[in-house]
Amino acid sequence: MLDVSRVQKELAECNRDQAISGVGIALCDGGSDLSHLTGTISGPVATPYEGGTFRIDIRLPGGYPFEPPKMQFITKVWHPNISSQNGAICLDILKDQWSPALTLKTALLSVQALLSSPEPDDPQDAVVAQQYLRDHQTFIATARYWTETFAKRISVDIEEKVQKLVEMGFPEDLVRSTLKSVNGDENMALEKLCSS
Amino acid sequence: MASDDDPASSSDLEASASAAAAAAAAAEEEEEEEEEEEDAAAEEEESETAEEAEYYFSDNDDAAEETVLDVLADGGEEECHWSVSSVRVITKESLLAAQREDLRKVMELLALREQHARTLLIHYRWDVERIFELLEVKGRERLFLEAGVSAIENKGRVLSSSPCPITCNVCFDEVPPSRVSEMDCGHCFCNECWTEHFIIKINDGQSRRITCMAPKCNAVCDEAIVRYLVSARHPEIADRFDRFLLESYIEDNNKVKWCPSVPHCGNAIRVKGDICCEVACACGIQFCFSCLSEAHSPCSCLMWELWIKKCQDESETVNWITVNTKHCPKCHKPVEKNGGCNLVACLCGQAFCWLCGGATGRDHTWSSISGHSCGRFKEDQEKRTEQARRNLYRYMHYHNRYKAHIDSLKQETNLKETIQGKISISENKESKIKDYSWVTNGLNRLFWSRRVLAYSYPFAFYMFGDELFKDEMTPQEREMKQNLFEDQQQQLEANVERLSSYLEKDFQDFSDDLVMDTMSRVINLSNVVDRLCKQMYQCIENDLLYPLRTTHNIAPYKSKGLEKPSEVSICWDSCQSSRSTRTCQEDRCPTSESTANGVAEKTVLGKRSEAQLQGSSSSNNGGYSSSSSSSSRKRDKIDARTGPTFDLNMPP
Repeated sequence: MLDVSRVQKELAECNRDQAISGVGIALCDGGSDLSHLTGTISGPVATPYEGGTFRIDIRLPGGYPFEPPKMQFITKVWHPNISSQNGAICLDILKDQWSPALTLKTALLSVQALLSSPEPDDPQDAVVAQQYLRDHQTFIATARYWTETFAKRISVDIEEKVQKLVEMGFPEDLVRSTLKSVNGDENMALEKLCSS
Repeated sequence: MASDDDPASSSDLEASASAAAAAAAAAEEEEEEEEEEEDAAAEEEESETAEEAEYYFSDNDDAAEETVLDVLADGGEEECHWSVSSVRVITKESLLAAQREDLRKVMELLALREQHARTLLIHYRWDVERIFELLEVKGRERLFLEAGVSAIENKGRVLSSSPCPITCNVCFDEVPPSRVSEMDCGHCFCNECWTEHFIIKINDGQSRRITCMAPKCNAVCDEAIVRYLVSARHPEIADRFDRFLLESYIEDNNKVKWCPSVPHCGNAIRVKGDICCEVACACGIQFCFSCLSEAHSPCSCLMWELWIKKCQDESETVNWITVNTKHCPKCHKPVEKNGGCNLVACLCGQAFCWLCGGATGRDHTWSSISGHSCGRFKEDQEKRTEQARRNLYRYMHYHNRYKAHIDSLKQETNLKETIQGKISISENKESKIKDYSWVTNGLNRLFWSRRVLAYSYPFAFYMFGDELFKDEMTPQEREMKQNLFEDQQQQLEANVERLSSYLEKDFQDFSDDLVMDTMSRVINLSNVVDRLCKQMYQCIENDLLYPLRTTHNIAPYKSKGLEKPSEVSICWDSCQSSRSTRTCQEDRCPTSESTANGVAEKTVLGKRSEAQLQGSSSSNNGGYSSSSSSSSRKRDKIDARTGPTFDLNMPP
């Protein structure tokens, strides 16, 4: 009994100004299930997350929008309020402060705001929070390293790999689909391409 | 105890003969100063205890008789104490009436509509005094804001008259104004979305605080709108919503608790003042208001919890274990010898000698164990097994006495019927004695003091044991206090037994003189036992528990036993409720007229209810059971004022 028309309106509304807001929502894996979406947020400027693109798994319960959406980072991120293990987000509006008048876009914007202003006193990840409070320099460095490693590689590396494989003489669309099927592993993709 | 063996009875015969004469004469002298006789009685007892340490029995008959007659004459006054009783039963039917009083106070003093008063009360757990305190501290605006009450009326905007459709910010649909509802906070959404929101919240168990759908809006939704919208789609959910609101008075209220009876009687109990007390429900069950288990004073709740657990774990097996087992010197578990020679092997692998309990090797013959001789005294092992044994004996000591008194209580409860029979025989006899209320009163005193006595044993077990207060008292201190306590306990015990023996006499066959004698003794003993109970409680509260670092609250001693609480009757505050319903009827239709009157009305109502508040609080202070402060010393004073006991109720 998901309110389909509302979700569709939200998707259209959100993706209209994705370039400006820095948040976007798409159906998960190009499927047709409106209750399972993937959101993307760009790392806020002047934070260790700058330049990264973070993917968030969104699941809409049957009672949406009267019940809050379930959101979880897919991209690994080093942040006091986000689990470094499973990407769970500690954010009040995703729990008891959810209001039916909020939207997925506003929720994602809140997550983005959370990235720029962590609340270490109410942590999801105690290890990260302790580091944030006691050794801020290391925290910044780790967060930046994680952004470089996890939030950039997919978008940057994939293009390089595609280019490499295309130069080897494989057609581009085949290269892309093969890379996707092996989760971006260049060697396995090459093997697969050669054997096909 | 048989009356013939009673050492005191023969010496008291002479005195009691004069008691009969005194009783007849004293009828005219009812207007005696009570204090005087109490003092006299106390003095008399002190000298008495010196001579006759075993019993705490006063034979100052004049004083006793007068007290009795005073009490008989003052029956009307006793009734008054009952009506002041602070404990009330709330049934399903009276649940609404029970909250009327609180709602009315808040509505009148703050000039609120009923639903807003309810929201406020739910948020502050039905603590009216706290609301008024916070009103001083925080001010009206903040008080309301935190509770989610929108006092600012935004009804100025008239939605339905505007013709253009409104976009609902939840479903993003355009809806005509007729299908939109606005809350007190000014936020409006379409009825479809509101209904969905309400149903989800009610199903989620949040009926008492359904907030507005707007982000960050803390306002609690208008219960009338919730009811109206939800009942249109799911009447049964709307009913549930109503019930949740109603039951908030029990669930979200420190002063009201469900009766713990199984199967549940459907009642709840409300107390005033100190919530550390014992209460009786209309269904007959008596329970501790703090922990909801059976009434256990003078044990504290923690002591009782530990004791119950210990009894469940140990009582049935404890006898068998002490008789048939020895403790393994290694794992300290009890080991049973199932045959063979005196070398016993525990399951843990340790072999030990059955004779002395000491650890041994395994090499043995039928008559001896190699390297082991029981003749030699080995202090260490001896000490450890000794300690275990002592702990067990200590527990058994207290448990046996506790159990004995509980058993006596059960047997004496059967006595009630027998005694009723004796009374009816006596009343039909040719005799000048017609009033036999002293028998039932004495019997009730017996039940109540027997109960106190029984629970004083688990109390002593923990008070003077190592489990709870080992570090809080030096051994010397503990011994001193234990002596003090046990002395009181002994005196109480002796007198309770004496009372019991007198009540078991076949007074229906006695001559008038003998009946008078028995009567004076029963009355006398009842007073003595009551006083001893009070003293023991004083000792427990002031000398034993008060100096401890950890707080152990016990329910105060109630001379009259646990009062059967009266029900919150609908007629009891009918005069008030009629007014409040009128007020809320006025409020139900929020016309601009009523809001304009609001200010003027507020001052008038405010003054009136302030006076009422003062009135009720002063009457409270004078009342018998308003032991609102937890200070035990204060409690004693109040109890001491209430004089001898009459209306004791039966144990369950």
